[in-house]
Amino acid sequence: MYKLHRSILTNEISVVNKIDDGVLMSIPFDPANTDYQEYLEWLAEGNTPEPAE
Amino acid sequence: MSTIKTNAILDASGGNTTTINGATPTAYNTMGKNRIINGAMEIDQRNAGASVTVPTGNDAYNIDRWNAQNDTDGTLTVQQSTTAPAGFRNSLVFTTGTADTSLAAGQIAFCRHIIEGYNIADLAWGTSDAKTITISFWVRSSLTGTFGGSLTNGDNNRSYPFSYTISSANTWEQKTVTVAGDTTGTWGVGTGRGLSLWFGLGVGSTYSGTVGSWSGSSYFSATGATSVVGTNGATFYITGVQLEAGSVATEFERRPYGTELALCQRYYFVLAPKATLQPTGVASYYNNTYLATNVSFPTTMRSSPTVVSASGTDYFIAYRAGSSDTFNSWTRDSGAVSQQMVEIYNNTEISGTGGQVATTRTNNASAFVHFNAEL
Repeated sequence: MYKLHRSILTNEISVVNKIDDGVLMSIPFDPANTDYQEYLEWLAEGNTPEPAE
Repeated sequence: MSTIKTNAILDASGGNTTTINGATPTAYNTMGKNRIINGAMEIDQRNAGASVTVPTGNDAYNIDRWNAQNDTDGTLTVQQSTTAPAGFRNSLVFTTGTADTSLAAGQIAFCRHIIEGYNIADLAWGTSDAKTITISFWVRSSLTGTFGGSLTNGDNNRSYPFSYTISSANTWEQKTVTVAGDTTGTWGVGTGRGLSLWFGLGVGSTYSGTVGSWSGSSYFSATGATSVVGTNGATFYITGVQLEAGSVATEFERRPYGTELALCQRYYFVLAPKATLQPTGVASYYNNTYLATNVSFPTTMRSSPTVVSASGTDYFIAYRAGSSDTFNSWTRDSGAVSQQMVEIYNNTEISGTGGQVATTRTNNASAFVHFNAEL
């Protein structure tokens, strides 16, 4: 499951985290990043990430 | 000493296979001619030679710049190997665990190398000036017969299936395939996918096509090709993979190990391998519960990378002011999209004092920190 991340320092949200099999992936909102592209495809399928804290 | 002045040296047939001391000096026989990175299979940042299962559902990178996927009913493992033909130290080996002896039309197992668009832009594919390329590689298999592969564009809507024959079991054989460049279709020329080179390990009919011509279909292998995943215990080794401009397979381009590693690090960088006591940087406490450090990449990465951190109880440790804190993982902070540097932090388990400085390490044999900007 994806979870949006809010920066402690700037309060912005520009990273989404994903935990899978004991591995934490922190994915930047960079259109060239293929993990971010997969996240966008997941969103396009109608899914919703957990909100940022 | 004599001097020869001439405008051209051709072979006896007027072609371009003339050799000088055994080397063929074609126009493309220059540094950087090989568009494949890690074609000699020497760099394995992720697994350090360990065997891994080829995943189902999504492709995954095993050794650097090579990925694989197995969407069949069989099982495959992949591993860097020290079995190699003369002149090479390593190969990539796939081994079938459980066979799938009756592939359905839509099932597929493959090994693939994706070339970044920047590195094929000069080939001018998708235009009337498209250049011919030649692929060469060494293969060895416990199976014999006709095997298949393909070239595709980034969207996999242009493909060129090819085949090659392995004549003798468990014997290294070098193969070459020459392909006239595609004059149509869209071929990436930037930081995205440019060209994909596929080697079929078991490809159903939906994704198998007629060899020797360009198609608008998603073909990843040749019709009727041998299925490696179709035989229990079958092995398939490959190394010395080169893709170059021109119609002649020239000698494999030898690049220094450090150069090859740097080329790989544009796509994947291991800050801390899976082991304990691996340094992860000097970090500072922004406040009592927020510890952060900046990581500079050894080379500009293809995209701003994903931070890939092992996550487990006390996997990491920070030594500060005569004491220490353990924490579970590193997370990427928000901020500018950078291909040169990233800030990573922890604020979930850390308990220190704002303003302190710490040296940080992995604290578990399963802990690691990687950065992924693969295609």
